[in-house]
Amino acid sequence: MENGALIEVLYFARVAEHTGTRHETVPLATPTPAGEWLQSLVDRFPSLAPASHLKLAINQQHALASDLIRPGDEVAVFDPVTGG
Amino acid sequence: MAVRIQSEPFDATQLALELQDRTAGQAGAIVHFLGMVRDYSPDQASRSLHLEHYPGMCEREIRQLCEQARQRWDILDTLVVHRVGELTLREPIVFVGVASRHRDAAFRACEFLIDALKTRAPFWKRETLENGQTFWVSQRQSDAEKTAQWGLKPVHHDASSKENNEPA
Repeated sequence: MENGALIEVLYFARVAEHTGTRHETVPLATPTPAGEWLQSLVDRFPSLAPASHLKLAINQQHALASDLIRPGDEVAVFDPVTGG
Repeated sequence: MAVRIQSEPFDATQLALELQDRTAGQAGAIVHFLGMVRDYSPDQASRSLHLEHYPGMCEREIRQLCEQARQRWDILDTLVVHRVGELTLREPIVFVGVASRHRDAAFRACEFLIDALKTRAPFWKRETLENGQTFWVSQRQSDAEKTAQWGLKPVHHDASSKENNEPA
């Protein structure tokens, strides 16, 4: 499997407080829709629920629930942004 | 077109001059927006503000927005500077400058850029109150609506498919 079937995951701001880490490498055997993957993250960290309030980026691009996360990707999870 | 994310304070007058120099002889108008740190919890005394960001994606996202602005309006140059790290109340937090031949394009592009930045660029504000309590500032619904008014899809929503119209 390419890249050892792993993804790099980054957590930011409030989300990082709930996961207790800002970065981890996790297995991902096959391409998975972002929405489905996010739900599995919320299953691991129930205090992040609901998944529908979380935002996700794949390789530094905002992603849709239907976008596929592939092995080797950089995935980031965060709340709606509040810059400016 | 320049984008800078920095922890150091900036001087808005210097940044406006920089944009003026870069477009000297061509620009007939320079419009800039200066965002200031305000109190996000008016009912409780604030001490400071911390700005977290996603390095790399921030710059990339703002550059994409500047590129969109260039395609939509007849503008010559843009300069966006955003602070991160520890800030205090009343400090400038963001500078968005646009130079164009005629003022209409600069006004519109500048407003578009700050509206879009607020809902697309990955920054998060955490406020610390005088009593030491901290909280993450929530995105304002009106900011999301403003971005939608510019024809930018809200982040993560796919208008082309009802089934996919769920946030990721």
